[in-house]
Amino acid sequence: MQVFKLCLMIIYKNKATLLIYIVIFMVVSSFMSSVSAKEMEDSTSFKPVKTEVAFFSDEDTPLINGFREELADVANFVDIPDETVALQDALYYREVSCIIRVPEGFTKKFMNGENVQLEKISIPNSTKNVHIDLFIDKYFNTARLYVQNMEGITQQELVRYLKKDLSETVSTEMVEDEKKTSDMASAKYSLNFFAYPLLSVIIMGMGTLMLIFNDRDLKMRNNCSPVSSTSISMQFVLGNLVFTFLSWLIMLIICLAMNFRNIFSPNTVFHIAGSFVFAFCCSGISFFIGNLTNSHEAVTAAANVASLGLSFISGVFVPQELIGSSVLKAASFTPTYWYVRANNTIADLTVFSYEALKPVLNDFLIIIGFGLAFFSASLAIRKAKTND
Amino acid sequence: MIVRVRDLVKRYGDILALDHLSFSIEEGEIFGLLGPNGSGKTTAINCILSLLKYDKGEIEIFGQPMRPDAYDIKRNIGIVMQNVAVYNELTVYQNIDYFCGLYVKDKNTRKKLVDEAVEFTGLGEYIRFYPKKLSGGLLRRLNIACGIAHKPKLIILDEPTVAVDPQSRNRILEGILELNRHGATIIYTSHYMDEVERICSRIMIIDRGREIATGTSDELKAMISLGEKITVESYSITEAQISAIRELHGITSVEYKDNKLIIKSEKGTNNLETVLDFIRKENIHFGRIYSEMPTLNDVFLEITGKELRD
Amino acid sequence: MFIHVFAYRMKILLHHRETIFWTMFFPLILATFFNMALSNLGSTEKFSPIDIAVVDNEQYRQNANLRLTLAEVSEGDDRLFNLSVVSAEEADKMLKNNKIDGYIVAERPIKLVVNKSGLNQSIIKSFADNYMHTVSATENILARDPSKIQNHISSIEDRVNYIRDVSSSGAEPNTVLAYFYSLLAMACLYGGFIGVREISDIQADISPVAARVNIAPVHKLKTFLYSSMASVTIHIAEMMILLAYLIFVLKVDFGTKTALVLLTTVIGSIAGFSFGSFISAVTKKSEGFKVAVLLSITMACCFLAGMMSQDVKYIILKNAPALLYVNPANLLTDAFFSLYYYDTYTKFLTNITILTGFIVVFCTVTYLIIRRRKYASI
Repeated sequence: MQVFKLCLMIIYKNKATLLIYIVIFMVVSSFMSSVSAKEMEDSTSFKPVKTEVAFFSDEDTPLINGFREELADVANFVDIPDETVALQDALYYREVSCIIRVPEGFTKKFMNGENVQLEKISIPNSTKNVHIDLFIDKYFNTARLYVQNMEGITQQELVRYLKKDLSETVSTEMVEDEKKTSDMASAKYSLNFFAYPLLSVIIMGMGTLMLIFNDRDLKMRNNCSPVSSTSISMQFVLGNLVFTFLSWLIMLIICLAMNFRNIFSPNTVFHIAGSFVFAFCCSGISFFIGNLTNSHEAVTAAANVASLGLSFISGVFVPQELIGSSVLKAASFTPTYWYVRANNTIADLTVFSYEALKPVLNDFLIIIGFGLAFFSASLAIRKAKTND
Repeated sequence: MIVRVRDLVKRYGDILALDHLSFSIEEGEIFGLLGPNGSGKTTAINCILSLLKYDKGEIEIFGQPMRPDAYDIKRNIGIVMQNVAVYNELTVYQNIDYFCGLYVKDKNTRKKLVDEAVEFTGLGEYIRFYPKKLSGGLLRRLNIACGIAHKPKLIILDEPTVAVDPQSRNRILEGILELNRHGATIIYTSHYMDEVERICSRIMIIDRGREIATGTSDELKAMISLGEKITVESYSITEAQISAIRELHGITSVEYKDNKLIIKSEKGTNNLETVLDFIRKENIHFGRIYSEMPTLNDVFLEITGKELRD
Repeated sequence: MFIHVFAYRMKILLHHRETIFWTMFFPLILATFFNMALSNLGSTEKFSPIDIAVVDNEQYRQNANLRLTLAEVSEGDDRLFNLSVVSAEEADKMLKNNKIDGYIVAERPIKLVVNKSGLNQSIIKSFADNYMHTVSATENILARDPSKIQNHISSIEDRVNYIRDVSSSGAEPNTVLAYFYSLLAMACLYGGFIGVREISDIQADISPVAARVNIAPVHKLKTFLYSSMASVTIHIAEMMILLAYLIFVLKVDFGTKTALVLLTTVIGSIAGFSFGSFISAVTKKSEGFKVAVLLSITMACCFLAGMMSQDVKYIILKNAPALLYVNPANLLTDAFFSLYYYDTYTKFLTNITILTGFIVVFCTVTYLIIRRRKYASI
């Protein structure tokens, strides 16, 4: 077990460097995940959050006033000067997420049943605006029903009817505690994000370790010793796994500490299992990269490209729902994709029957498969290299 | 007078790296700076080159005070550093050409000079190689080529043979002698006394930044009282016999350690025959017997009380 | 002399694989990743139907209107829902096993049961709300004139879009673009790698090669200036390649003021180079250490400028806006964004002026440190 012992010693010697990596990544990760979790909660929350809106009207009519009053249910009105630069600034700095303008003659045309539209300037892709869009659409489409089917209806009447109609809403019932689910959502994002530091740290750390071992002279000396190359490789894999386990454990503790509210939920157990399986896969990837690179620069480059690349395309940074289907298809050839998918499924679990868990276990198996594939590929490479 | 150093003092914090060092070098000399590691050789060189600030002292080269912007002086100096100073991204030829180009503007002249330097250092086969592909010895030779391609009048070589195989070392030493024959004045620093003895016309021994002694190799050896040293390898020498040898004429000290009898003589006496007679008379069995003249190491040992090497 | 130093410096840098990787290939690769992850954020992806259930009770069976409406939105390729009509117990079970996102109970008012709040749940709710408003309106209308029923149903069917998206200046405040702009800013700042190298190669107390340059009969600052020009030239060329890749391959919109975008890139490149030189000049350790310092500061700046998440930037904007103006990465990102977004040049000029100020400070400090010709220790 000399090789294995040496692995441990080298890891221990490099602990400061590795810890720095771990700490830096975790600080960034926690910041990122807290930000994106908050963002997601805001945008998908069941009770619509009020959106900041600048409202300008070129006319003053009972219909528009009524509309404005109802709109206040979903909007906070912000006063800004009606000047191009000021409006641009307000959008750019997100003082408002959209600007709505009622053009001159809107009411008159609307009441005559002509097609008219409100002008809206908004921050694209902002999910907050969806609620505003839906509201406007709803309000005027319902109003149109009256205009088309009640001849001679006055604006005042119309506004009164609409007020009553809009007050009719469905009653919703949550079978689960909403607090819990939103906590789960934040746990989900930070655990998805966890893939990035895990990959980075393990590839970087193992790469450095392997560099020392793959040094040509040292390797020749090892090969000259009366220990079979398979044994050396296996001890090496073992060292690799121990390192992976330690990094995973340290980072997991930090990660859990930041999501301590969920720590006792059964979902967390499965999340931990998922990250463990994924860490095993990272170990395989790092072993693979370590066998292909031969300089410190190459390791740094490979670690960055691999960790960022795998994270970007498979939904670690940007939620999978928002990534294009063709990219996701490509991503399904990476273990990160399955890790993120499993995490998302786990976060939604409320019962833990075999049926509910089946897709999760399936994803786990795929991740383990990836890990094994990487390990065997690297062992094959090692074998081929020694025979050269 | 090519170089004149007067009263040079350099401190690193509390440590006195150069302690009132003074020396001068005449044209055509190969001037050796000999001293153990950390004795201040490189510091002295860096001060002469105006790379280092010094606390006190004057340095003149070619009769002019040396300053960082004394470009006319610098144009005529060639330096071979202790560390290999080449660009890894340039080939052997490009490296030499680059550094030569800082001294010589004319393209045609430069090409001739670079070719000569390549030939001189025997790097002809390797001109398209990148430094990473060169062995230690070849790398040193490239380092030298970069320093001397512009045919300087004064060449400073700072330990150019550290970590070099014997073959390359010989080639380097021969090269230095040849450069000298072509008229270059040379400053050579080393902690290998045999190298210094072999090529230097004048030697200064320094230790802890202080001058210990200066002179030709023979002059230095003449400074000490020690003469011939006779070594007898034998198993069976008795205390009585050792005492008897001690009584012989002209013997200053006798030591018997590790089956080696070391007999030191006074300067000017020749005791080998006397010792041989004695051994024969006493019927002492011996393996080998040999006599040595004092080396620079002995000089260093006698003056500082410690060995030059390590 | 200028050509000699300039040409050799080019050769040296182009041969240094690590520098070329970090200053050119890494940003190119990262841009590709950005594109893959973010390209879809702008466009609306094909909507995948939501799985829902409706409880098969007496009220549902009697409510023809609701049945029809639900059936209508659960048919065809562009359907909104995958609808199952099941018993109350079954619906509950399905919800718990995540087979459906929610189920509807036909009461008055309609009840919606979900297990979490998310986008799909909001869509279901919005649908149900809408249904109820229409029902309410229908009742009001028919109460006054029941003959309108036919006309009314056709009115319900043709929905009208009452919103027209307009843009104040022809450019949208597209946040996806900001990611690419900050990536370009990062690439510009990575010019610092070359700057670090440049200083190491001129400071005799850092590298032996520099010592050799120092004893050559050429003014040190002259050599430095010439070789810096080669460095900046190479880095600007790299940035042009990156910019071309962003504009022509990834189709990132940089607006219409192309000349100023190019100018900003050049200034950014110089800023990056001078920043690296500055870091290299003020830190007194090995090149590896300098690079580590440079890399951490650059990444921190890019992070704070919103490269990983634009929200970071808005958090800073709200809490410590001054921080945005001392962050070169943010100044560059904002400069690109202002060119794209604003009709006026005020914002652009503010950013560029501060950035130029930084360049001046970096260069001055670097000059004050490297003009020294003799070293205290080597």
